[in-house]
Amino acid sequence: MITSPPTRRRVVVVAVGAATLLVAAVLGGLVIGPTPIGVGHVVGDVLSHLGLGRSTLTPLQSTILWQLRAPRMVLGVLAGAMLAVAGGAYQGVFRNPLADPYLLGVAAGAGLGATFAIVHSGGLATPAWTPLLAFAGALAAVAATWLVGGRGQRANSSTLILAGVAVSSLLTSAQTFLQQSSSNSIARVYIWLLGSLATASWHSVVMVLPYVVAGTATCLAAARALDVMSVGEDESRSLGLPVRRVRLLVVLASSLGTAAVVSAVGLIGFVGIIVPRLVRLLVGTSYRRILPISVVGGAAFLVLCDTIARTVLAPSELPIGVVTALVGAPVFVIVLNVRRARGA
Amino acid sequence: MSRVVISHLGVRVGTRALLEDVSIALEAGEWLTVIGPNGAGKTTLVETVAGIRRASGGSVQIGEADVTDMTERERARLVSLVPQHPEAPSGMSVTDYVDLGRLARRGWMRGVSGEDRRAVASVLERLGLVDFAERDVASLSGGERQRAVLGRAMAQSAPVMVLDEPITGLDLRHQMEFLELLRREVSECGLAVLATLHDVTLAGQFADRLVLLDSGRVVLDGPAREVVRSAELAACYGMDLRVVEIDGADVVVPVRRRD
Repeated sequence: MITSPPTRRRVVVVAVGAATLLVAAVLGGLVIGPTPIGVGHVVGDVLSHLGLGRSTLTPLQSTILWQLRAPRMVLGVLAGAMLAVAGGAYQGVFRNPLADPYLLGVAAGAGLGATFAIVHSGGLATPAWTPLLAFAGALAAVAATWLVGGRGQRANSSTLILAGVAVSSLLTSAQTFLQQSSSNSIARVYIWLLGSLATASWHSVVMVLPYVVAGTATCLAAARALDVMSVGEDESRSLGLPVRRVRLLVVLASSLGTAAVVSAVGLIGFVGIIVPRLVRLLVGTSYRRILPISVVGGAAFLVLCDTIARTVLAPSELPIGVVTALVGAPVFVIVLNVRRARGA
Repeated sequence: MSRVVISHLGVRVGTRALLEDVSIALEAGEWLTVIGPNGAGKTTLVETVAGIRRASGGSVQIGEADVTDMTERERARLVSLVPQHPEAPSGMSVTDYVDLGRLARRGWMRGVSGEDRRAVASVLERLGLVDFAERDVASLSGGERQRAVLGRAMAQSAPVMVLDEPITGLDLRHQMEFLELLRREVSECGLAVLATLHDVTLAGQFADRLVLLDSGRVVLDGPAREVVRSAELAACYGMDLRVVEIDGADVVVPVRRRD
């Protein structure tokens, strides 16, 4: 039985561990692939760009490194960080361990938007405006959820979640209908829904970056308010917390950031649920610890999963959503059991 | 100072009136306890004054200001709340829990300041919680936890404190201890207290004034001794009550009917 919250030292160890894992994951992601590029070469090339020494990479290796693997790595970092911090913030604001932006319609809305784009493209490739429609679909879905369940005096976390479930079901059925009505694009819709970083480019990084930075910063700024909300909505209000405003802020920032990420990489599941929960098990219940460490941990986790996704069946790729669950679920269960065995 | 004036307060849910035309005034340094049977509207009254519930009519004035149309933060600087079933979030230390009361002073985006730390330390000391400062609030016993909740409310440094059945679930000693601590705050700091209690005997011993509430209306409002000995009290509960005086204190005893 714990009688006092986790020590500062434990928190520092976990934070440093997460940061180390992130650096290792990014380096591993840059080095590992069908074309082997040594760590020394990568470091040498980075230094040469800074005017120190000369690069030992061939032009082809340089292109693979900087135009294929690097943007993929950066997009993975952004997506992982955003999904994890948004999930953590949602769990705080809704006081529900299963809450994340997907629950309020982001996933279903983006899915419908992307399916619409793919089905109506006519061609064989996934059209370039798919992300745009996915983004619009995600935001429209969250807006609908808010209009149904988030306004008025009686609105609370439960009404909002119920509204999210209703809106999601509706949009998912529309998406399924659309998908089934056009048999020659089913495979592409399916691949998009499972998520992938394969199409990452510097362009997609630039598109996603502002949303992720703003979304993450807002969630981190709300961490103190989320700690207060652990005593419930009524008590928080009596303590002087503008509960509605905080909830709107977190929902808005997380949804916007997640919608941007999802539109670029598809529906990568599980990150928003598992990473913050894992961090919470390790460092305690304060969101001032959970959220910053989730940013780093989420980034590391997604980059790691992406490297696995593109190497185990190389040259073909596994959908990253499969890997996040395949790697994440067992880790999650193990940590959960270890903590329970210790009685914490 | 901060006079609390509740006037013609009404709360309805749909067509049902939970409170109707309730008017009560309360001075700084005065302890008023609301008694009445289950469903009389005691919790509704407390929650409305604390701003958790919206009034459908009337007003709650504290000093010059009307609490019913304030922001959460403005209200929390004037009224603190000890709820009936407070949440004890696991993983939060007693210090951090009491510090939640400082939120309205500093604003929710701000970090803990030196002044906050001093205020929290002083509350912990006043309530004898110093040894529990680093304990997980969820691991405290009922009596200790309720003291932490009182500490959180005290840390708000609001001139008015409302408490909803604050001693429910505590043993006799902890009930007395809690009420004595509160009594000290009222006399030493000029706190105005509006509390609800089920135990009429304890209510009579600690409060300056009692308000008897039934079906959302004020039946009686007066000095503790008068209300306890009134015929209305027994009528509201619909039973036989005897008042026995022991060492100058009125003890209310229910008597079983034998027909």
